[in-house]
Amino acid sequence: MKALVVLGVTLAASSGVAAPPSRVLGIPGKPASDQCTACHQALDEPRLQKPAVLATDDIHYRQGITCAGCHGGDPQAEDPEAAMDPKKGFMGKIPPQKVPEVCGSCHSDASFMLRYAPNIPTDQLAQYRTSKHGLALAKGDTKVATCASCHGAHGVLPASDARSPVYASRIVETCGRCHGDPSLMKPYGISGKEIEDYKQSVHYQALVVKNDLSAPTCNDCHGSHGATPPGISSVSNVCGTCHLTQREAFDSSPHKDAFAAMEQPACEACHSNHKILPPKDEWIGVGEGQVCGTCHSSGDRGAEAAQAIFASLNGTVQRLAAARERVERAERRGMLMDEALVKLEEAHQSLVLARNEVHTVDPQRVAAKTSEAGGAVAKAEKDAEAAEAELRFRHNGFKVSLLVILLTVVALGAKIREIERRS
Amino acid sequence: MKVALKLGGTMASESKVTRKGFINWLLGTSLGATVVAALYPVFRYVLPPEVAEAPTNRVLAGKLSELPPNTGKIFRFGAKPGILVRTPGGEVRAFSAICTHLNCTVQYRADFQHIWCACHNGHYDLQGKNIQGPPPRPLETFKVDIVGDDIYVTRGA
Amino acid sequence: MKLAEKLWKALDERYDLAPLLAFAKEKAVPRHRHDWMYYFGGLTLFFFMIQVATGILLLLYYRPTAEAAFESVQFIMTRVPFGWLIRSIHSWSANLMIASAFVHMFTVYFAGAYVKPRELTWWTGAALLLLALGFGFSGYLLPWNELAFFATRVGTDMVSKVPLIGHWLLRVLRGGEDVTGATLTRFFGIHVAVLPMISTFLILLHLAFIQRQGMHEPEGEAKLPPRPFFPNFVLREFMVWLVGLAALAALAAFFPWELGTKADPFAPAPAGIKPEWYFLFMFETLKLLPAEVLGIEGEILGLAAFTVGGLFWFLAPLWDRKRARGEKNPFALIVGWGVVLYIASFTALSYLGVFK
Repeated sequence: MKALVVLGVTLAASSGVAAPPSRVLGIPGKPASDQCTACHQALDEPRLQKPAVLATDDIHYRQGITCAGCHGGDPQAEDPEAAMDPKKGFMGKIPPQKVPEVCGSCHSDASFMLRYAPNIPTDQLAQYRTSKHGLALAKGDTKVATCASCHGAHGVLPASDARSPVYASRIVETCGRCHGDPSLMKPYGISGKEIEDYKQSVHYQALVVKNDLSAPTCNDCHGSHGATPPGISSVSNVCGTCHLTQREAFDSSPHKDAFAAMEQPACEACHSNHKILPPKDEWIGVGEGQVCGTCHSSGDRGAEAAQAIFASLNGTVQRLAAARERVERAERRGMLMDEALVKLEEAHQSLVLARNEVHTVDPQRVAAKTSEAGGAVAKAEKDAEAAEAELRFRHNGFKVSLLVILLTVVALGAKIREIERRS
Repeated sequence: MKVALKLGGTMASESKVTRKGFINWLLGTSLGATVVAALYPVFRYVLPPEVAEAPTNRVLAGKLSELPPNTGKIFRFGAKPGILVRTPGGEVRAFSAICTHLNCTVQYRADFQHIWCACHNGHYDLQGKNIQGPPPRPLETFKVDIVGDDIYVTRGA
Repeated sequence: MKLAEKLWKALDERYDLAPLLAFAKEKAVPRHRHDWMYYFGGLTLFFFMIQVATGILLLLYYRPTAEAAFESVQFIMTRVPFGWLIRSIHSWSANLMIASAFVHMFTVYFAGAYVKPRELTWWTGAALLLLALGFGFSGYLLPWNELAFFATRVGTDMVSKVPLIGHWLLRVLRGGEDVTGATLTRFFGIHVAVLPMISTFLILLHLAFIQRQGMHEPEGEAKLPPRPFFPNFVLREFMVWLVGLAALAALAAFFPWELGTKADPFAPAPAGIKPEWYFLFMFETLKLLPAEVLGIEGEILGLAAFTVGGLFWFLAPLWDRKRARGEKNPFALIVGWGVVLYIASFTALSYLGVFK
């Protein structure tokens, strides 16, 4: 026990600010009650009243940590003078450069945090100090983001709470408050367009529009507390954490060494970094608006490979679409096309795999997959043909029966005439 | 008809009988053909077809004896693939085999002990939940009923 | 021959059939320049019988639920041998039945056959036509495909325009606020039980009236010696039926009835939904009406006009006194040609795509 306390003190000391004393802490899991909120909520001045109102929803307050936990002072004193006595450690508004230390006084203390959230990481402050934000703050730049800039100062909510500004789908707006402002970003050599670019990306579509929380937002590539741009060499690692197949394909391609030699970022060269649009087969080529043209030009080996790759992809796409149209038409006309539909799905799957192989930039590997797709399409076409033949057969069957019926009509007509002539 | 008329013109005495006979023959044959053409399809229609039931939301997906623990099997709901999984613990579960990312067909990977999609390396756990890679949603879960050795899978239940 | 004679004798002994035979031998049908019109009632009956037969066959595999209806029709068309044929015949025969019924009605109207003493024959016939339209409307939904679903939604919505009880009627018809699986079950019951029962009864009544009163002969036609009912008229009628069957085969061959795509109640309505052709003239008229006429909703006004017009047509035996006395009635003829022209032109123009 003593050893633990000593350890805790040492850790806290390393961050410069000690963990709050037990008198400002309540019982974990039970909301705090103190004089600070009681008085401040009754104040007229919004600047002083609002923090107290927000505090009641705050995760810390709800876990029994009073205002004094961060601001110091005596939370139980009714007399404002006594409550906000600097001798009792009262700090008032915490200056930006001190915010990370204040938060870190608890959040870097593993044994302290264990009481509240056993699984929560305690390396945020260490990470923050390596981040662009932390480095700039250390140099005295107080405009950069600190803990409160993203998490809020009062009314802090856990990141898993959808109302929190650091909830996955809201992060882009939170970062965008600064990074979306070009004038604010200019001194740092950042364009300020990244947010707008990201909003056009497939990732934003998946995350915010389709509400797929596993899709990446700012912090998934840049890190959360250790926010920093990934280096050129690590871009493909970052993308590859999710896009493993494409990364493996790329790593086996001649591009890997070539890009490294030219100090080109791997994925970003074609897909861009923030404005990652849904990829199109039409990008492949050296023409205007095509990605290979950045390095290759018409006539070289790369251009030829690009042309071959595009031709096999596009040919398959066209054929697949035509076959699908044909199969669906037969299905609408009432034919059983299950087998053909399965074949079309197989073809679609091979096409998806062929698009993975594009990253090898090897036309033969792409063609191997597209010819698989072509084989499946051919089978579906055969089914469609059989269905069309069956429809034609029925059509002709009707024509034959039509003839038989008409013949009966003629025979009956003759019979009637014969009978009527008799009488 | 034409033949009959011709006959009627040449053989004066027999013509009436021949003509009448021909008309009767023609009428009988064509009427018979019409009746057969109408009744044969009906006869075939009422005989039970090869697949006795309209594809409902339930299929016989496989046999328990053919599905040892830590294996999977693809079955079909009409044109849509489903995946039957026998967990290493021996439990049988069924999911839609359509990957929620780009509609590829997923498979069971004995080495990972979970479901995997080859297209973009998407991983799903044994509850069908997307755990790694690009799939945005879990796989749709189907209900499994085991009757003797038969595994029945019910969709939308 | 011997056996047949024996059988006849045995039956005659028990049921006294000889007078019936004598009656059948004596029964004759009038002959005149327009006696072709007598065949259309029988032709309608023929299509009705085909509907009953193919309808019963379809019942073997059809399932009236929102989940299974489309699939079961698909099953019939794809997996059941000749299922496509039965379904195609059922669909086309339905249309031909209604077409034939319309022709029958107009020939009867122009011949003035509805006047005293045949008022009840006219009224049962009119009721049968309404039932046939009901068959068409309820049956259209049963395959549960996209077009049918939205057409039914639009069609049933009109009921809500009826003053006071409109909303109640709509709920009764749809089995709820909207067209759902509940509507399908309801329409199925109406289509295969309620309507056939009433229709069969009315058909028997309609035929009994004709049998009792004989065929109507239009005034001022040069009369020819009547045609024996058996075998002359029967064989001719049979020939007409065969022509009807040929028309059925031709239509099924050249315009195969499609399956469509399964209805999705939450999908937006597809462009260009149209009801069946026999509702087109009403559909287009209602679309043409302005949203509001003299403070009354145009659609309500249109529906009211159709109701009044239909009622007027229905009551022809009451207002047409002249023809009952054997005189000519130019007014009735003008009304008749007006209705024919209106229905024909609106239907044709709709198919030509004039109304957009």
